[in-house]
Amino acid sequence: MRILSVLLIIILAACSSKPDAVVVSKPVCDLAYSSYQATVTGYCQEAAADLPESLDIINKSITIKPLDEISEVFWFNKKMKYSLIKQEASAPLIFIIAGTGASYDSVKMLSLQKSFFQQGYHVISLSSPTFANFIVNSPNTRYMPGDLAHDAEYLYQVMNLVWAQVQAQDAVEALSFSLTGYSLGGAHSAFISLLDEEKKAFNFEKVLLINPPVSLYNSVSILDKYFDLGENRPAAVAMFDDIFSRFSIAYAAQRSSKFDQGSIFSLFKNVALTEAELKLLIGASFRISSSDMIFAIDVSFNTGAITYKNHSISKLESLTHSLQRASDITFGDYFDRAMLPRAQREDASISKADLIERYSLHAIEDYLTASDKIYLVTNQDDIILQAGEVEYLQSIFTDRAKIFPRGGHCGNFDRLSFVEHLQARFQGGLN
Amino acid sequence: MSMLANKCSRLFVIALCFLLLACTSQPRLESTAITPIIAIPDNLAELGVMSAYADPWEGFNRRMYYFNAKADEYVLLPIVTGYKQITPDVVETGLSNFFNNLAEISTFINSLLQFKLSVAGETLGRFAVNTSLGFAGLIDVATPMGLAAQDEDFGQTLGFWGVKAGPYLVLPLLGPSSLRDASGLVFDGLADQQVMDELGMKSEEELYLSLLNSIDARSRLPFRYYGSGSAFEYDYLKLLYKKYREIQVAR
Repeated sequence: MRILSVLLIIILAACSSKPDAVVVSKPVCDLAYSSYQATVTGYCQEAAADLPESLDIINKSITIKPLDEISEVFWFNKKMKYSLIKQEASAPLIFIIAGTGASYDSVKMLSLQKSFFQQGYHVISLSSPTFANFIVNSPNTRYMPGDLAHDAEYLYQVMNLVWAQVQAQDAVEALSFSLTGYSLGGAHSAFISLLDEEKKAFNFEKVLLINPPVSLYNSVSILDKYFDLGENRPAAVAMFDDIFSRFSIAYAAQRSSKFDQGSIFSLFKNVALTEAELKLLIGASFRISSSDMIFAIDVSFNTGAITYKNHSISKLESLTHSLQRASDITFGDYFDRAMLPRAQREDASISKADLIERYSLHAIEDYLTASDKIYLVTNQDDIILQAGEVEYLQSIFTDRAKIFPRGGHCGNFDRLSFVEHLQARFQGGLN
Repeated sequence: MSMLANKCSRLFVIALCFLLLACTSQPRLESTAITPIIAIPDNLAELGVMSAYADPWEGFNRRMYYFNAKADEYVLLPIVTGYKQITPDVVETGLSNFFNNLAEISTFINSLLQFKLSVAGETLGRFAVNTSLGFAGLIDVATPMGLAAQDEDFGQTLGFWGVKAGPYLVLPLLGPSSLRDASGLVFDGLADQQVMDELGMKSEEELYLSLLNSIDARSRLPFRYYGSGSAFEYDYLKLLYKKYREIQVAR
């Protein structure tokens, strides 16, 4: 029994390193603000919005590719998972697409689900094409995840299948369709919207890009640098140990052994992480998602980067060696050694610069400028944007852009001004 | 009854030793298999936390992890769902409080064994207040009064006295543990047993109570096997467990 309660606390402790597991019950915190802090603990200096406490989420799954084609090591990932939150009567419907390496039920997704449900939408949530469950269920074994235009094709295919399924199984009636996504999911939304202009399955009424990268390559280069094991591994490792021991000391000084939202904030306050340390945590969490992604790609595409090529991995086999191999790869390596060669196999004349351009909003700039159904919301201090990229977004979206001064990367989804903005933008899908 | 239990536990220990040593988790490679492009870093120590914890019983542990995931899905969670459906929320909370209150006893003993007198005092205070004013622990009146919940177990006591955690061990149904913490669990179990005997319970009543305690504990735990969707979940959880216990012991 003990062990179970220990586990519970481990989970809570684990969540505390993720942005908005630190949920609403304490309205504001007194941490010193920085864009990194907002990215790690959420923009907790602003008051939380009044969102529903819980939702009736219908967890669903759908067979996209024959289950026997999925490797045994992913026995728990057979069928693609997604969720539906249904209004009682017919209502507008919105699809939400998760960010890099995130699932349909991530904490950030939950905040967005609450906002849109509150505004009267049916909500369908999909995992990112960079999330293992999506990768191993996708019929795609040709284009690397992150290739935005091709990702959009597969997402669009999945959206059509999922829409047919919820009509048949849950009698969902949609008055109209909208689309949104955060981080990488925001960039995906833009490419899907373009595809829909041609295929017209949904005729999206509104499309909202939330904290999207302008250039995938630029953004991941920034995140790679936060946790650069190639450059100075001992320093990064030592910093990690130091963070752990300070958390441990702060926890020892705390009166109760419980973790709750208040105590997590005060732990963070006592530990007083430096900017470099916050960056390390962000970089490490990004590295964990990219390890998961690279493993899933390896298994699905038989690329043999961190797993044995031509080997079928059993469900009981040790994967520790793959994890250790993955710890050495940055996203930049993945780009150079996997995405570029793949793309060059299709078209030998393509250069790295071409590919960087193709995996960015620049590639569909004309469409984004002209299409008045596409909106943008981001933060002036979003850490995944390079110098000049906020201004670029502003110039493309002009009055369809809302840029908050603070919030870091996706740190304000459950905060008052952000939720009010979504409400004003969407108005229950009525205008 | 106790003879039988003794015999069973001896058999269990023998089976466990056999399983721990017999299982391998090393890949059985096909003749066409090709070594991964990315090499394993030469100096594993440089990986820091990612390689800080050896796992000599990995073969057994991975099997047990898989077993636990299946048992959770097909046995434990359905029971928990049923329990939540038939039990009103007030009753659920009451029972949780009740079991938490019983657990204060082993927290009390273990904080004494570590000379943590203030923790012991606070725990004793909680137990006294909740048992009397809180109707045998059904209502938690101590927390609002400012008496904070503490958490000490015999694994931590052993850690306090310098016993190393030993190899990582995944226990059937209970999940992540270590050689030291699993031994501690036996001690804490004995203490709980003693309490129930003191209360003059019959063995089948004890059984029902333990079952209910387990169901309650599982229902409060939001963890879902493979909820992370990651193939590396086993490795991540091992790391988290080891780190978390270090922090707890240091407390």
